[in-house]
Amino acid sequence: MTVNANQKVLKKALGVGLSAVMGMSLLAGCGSDSNGNTANGGSAVEGDNGKRVTLKVEVFDRGNSPAPHTITNNFLTQMVQERFGDPNNIDVEFVPVQRSEEVTKLNVLMASNTDVPDIVFTYDSSVFYRYAQQGGLTDVGAILDEHGPNLKKFLGEETLSYGQIDGKQLSIPGKRAVTGRYSSYIRQDWLDKLGLPVPTTTDELYTTLKAFKDKDPGGLGSKNIPMGMALAPAQFETLIYSFIKPVKGDLTYGQRYELPLHEGFKDAMQFLNKLYNEGLISKDFSLDEDKTQLGKDLNNGYVGYWSDDVGNLAYADGTLDVLYANVEGSKISAVDTYTNANVDNKHIKSRYASNGMYIMIPKSSKRAVEAVKYLDWMASDDNLVLMYSGVEGENYDLVDGIPVVKPDVSKEFADRLFNGGDMAIISNGKNFGDQELNQKAWISGFPERHKEILEQSYAIANTDTVGPIVFSKPIEAEPKYGTTLNDKLAVIMVKTAMAKPEQFDAVYEQEMKDFMSLGGTQLKEELEAALKDL
Amino acid sequence: MSKVSYLKRYWQLYALLSLPMIYFFIFRYGPMYGVQIAFKDFNLFQGIGGSEWIGFDAFREVFNLREFYTALRNTFMLNFLDLLVSFPAPIILAIMLYEIKGVWFKKISQTILYIPHFISWVIIGGIVYQLFGNQSGMVNGVLEGLGLSPIPFLTEKGPWLVTYLFTGVWQSAGWGTILYLAALTGVNRELFEAAEVDGATRMKKIWYITLPSIKPTIVTLLILNLGKMVSIGFDRPYIIGNTAVREYSDVLSTFVYRVGLESGQYTLATVVGLFQAVVGLVFILGSNYISKKMTGNGII
Repeated sequence: MTVNANQKVLKKALGVGLSAVMGMSLLAGCGSDSNGNTANGGSAVEGDNGKRVTLKVEVFDRGNSPAPHTITNNFLTQMVQERFGDPNNIDVEFVPVQRSEEVTKLNVLMASNTDVPDIVFTYDSSVFYRYAQQGGLTDVGAILDEHGPNLKKFLGEETLSYGQIDGKQLSIPGKRAVTGRYSSYIRQDWLDKLGLPVPTTTDELYTTLKAFKDKDPGGLGSKNIPMGMALAPAQFETLIYSFIKPVKGDLTYGQRYELPLHEGFKDAMQFLNKLYNEGLISKDFSLDEDKTQLGKDLNNGYVGYWSDDVGNLAYADGTLDVLYANVEGSKISAVDTYTNANVDNKHIKSRYASNGMYIMIPKSSKRAVEAVKYLDWMASDDNLVLMYSGVEGENYDLVDGIPVVKPDVSKEFADRLFNGGDMAIISNGKNFGDQELNQKAWISGFPERHKEILEQSYAIANTDTVGPIVFSKPIEAEPKYGTTLNDKLAVIMVKTAMAKPEQFDAVYEQEMKDFMSLGGTQLKEELEAALKDL
Repeated sequence: MSKVSYLKRYWQLYALLSLPMIYFFIFRYGPMYGVQIAFKDFNLFQGIGGSEWIGFDAFREVFNLREFYTALRNTFMLNFLDLLVSFPAPIILAIMLYEIKGVWFKKISQTILYIPHFISWVIIGGIVYQLFGNQSGMVNGVLEGLGLSPIPFLTEKGPWLVTYLFTGVWQSAGWGTILYLAALTGVNRELFEAAEVDGATRMKKIWYITLPSIKPTIVTLLILNLGKMVSIGFDRPYIIGNTAVREYSDVLSTFVYRVGLESGQYTLATVVGLFQAVVGLVFILGSNYISKKMTGNGII
């Protein structure tokens, strides 16, 4: 009797289950439904008739808002509203997008058409090309001429050209202040303890790492990590660039997933394989895509040598501060170790292009004019300084025209600027004119106690750099295969690194074959053809 | 009874029924409008209506992708292994709970066993990585302390599969006991008393009384599970999986996510989703047919 009743319940449950099976997979198809909206998009004069309008602006959320600030309501958003919004009769609304899921979220927002912010951005040129190709972006050329004189002056022709496709200004690229990218660091106290010199070539680095492993200067036992590694660009790009041959002098293909198309890539993987199998790098690097584990290991003093985004360790309460507090007698030096045998043993490393992120105004936006006005406001007067450095006298003092952080700035004032870099989207870093000044300004934003290591880091980051080639027209294979190949690159690195040394060749061949068949071949052909046309 | 008075009398029941009906139409049938994306060259900005028809081109492209077959194989493999490992777990657990005599202890254990079901996979993922990492994982720390070599729980095929399967058991076995326990409450206690008089041991009682009484429940749930062979949740393989085992952890749902949401190739993603739905339907009808033949009891 009860059993029967149970079966009835189950029958119903099954119905739900069945439709769940059918429905779930169809959710993938539930995208936008907003045809035809595009017709009235693009142009925008509605804001001028005295009615208060809302301008929606994307902002990266890194989940690090210090209380009482939130990502959508903080010192800087209030400043924007007060200084730009209110005088222009505009409500500025910030739409947070999680930093690590930026592209995914942006795709969803773009598809919704009605919810998409009026200002969106991405660092990924493939994403920009894809939106442009599908006709989803506003051509801002004319609006820029009319409403963005300060912005145009600030960015300059060269930077703007990165956002042009077929003569249309489909994006407003941000301007990058400093193109230096990576530096490497070593535990000087470990070297001193072992009486070793600072390594200056890849071979010497290997010997040093071996010594770190065998002699365990930190007395860490199984926790000892001679070289800190993560599945993140700052760690693997540095290593790979020191093996590959750039395709055109000090320029080469710019996308990360184009690294395997270079001569010398196999040697890089072979080296990584050797490091892994001899226990010289973080054993769990394949699980550490966001550098969380690496950060912990660094702070605890387990790591002897690592590469990182330049300056990343010098923030207040960052790696240096925490490490020095945690491990007595610890000392970090900036070093330039990797040498590239394919390029006269130079310290080849990548640098950024002179543009920053691609700022785009979706075609469905009715606030293109306001959007440009906002960016123009940002570029005018000292508004960028406000976003990056805060309030004069409270956050910084002007020294030789450069804002220098006050040494005793209170936490309350410092917290105001927690996402200054993410708010000031037209400028990657502090732009004051030339690189040297920019660099000085950047360093002065860090605590005074780390000035020396930062200056060394920047000198290293600017040595023997290789930049991305800018082709005259977009590479069509990039938006098409980019994401897949980027994933595959991660698999190649992990698989070849973790293979037994005697299986390395077989694993490498197999993975590269896969890479080529997943679109690598088409990408290679198109890139080589484009290279000839340059 | 005339139709009018019939409706007058029972309208409340129909009103109640309309709620789930509305739910199904909005959330289950409504989205089917989007299925046509599979046959269109979907352009994000022109919407579904504005995109061009391309027939079966996208299907051809998907069936030529090696990655698709890997994801398909993994979906079947993980689901099949799950069926072997995770399906019996709640049955065994339910019998064990049923055998417990102390009411207080039984209630406490049940609650403790249910709790993992309410923990999100993201958090479970965090716990798993902290416990089973090679260098920083607690379990390997203990192994090393005992002088044993560490086990790559997360980065090698075999150990990863075990980790994947057992986190699944840990998360869902307790919750899965509910249906079996409900079925067991209906078993006549006199059967056990009679068996005791005849001198049956505890194992014998379980084998000859407990198990047969929940057999219909087991069969029904088995059919349900078989029908779901081709569909797989997104969270678990996505979170427990990682680059080192991508070859085994990439399943259809994560494949759809990567192709569709990450790379913006909505057409291909919809094709895979549609394929999954059709195969799922075939499986459910098939297992229902077999069950009808074998037990005389179907579910549709």
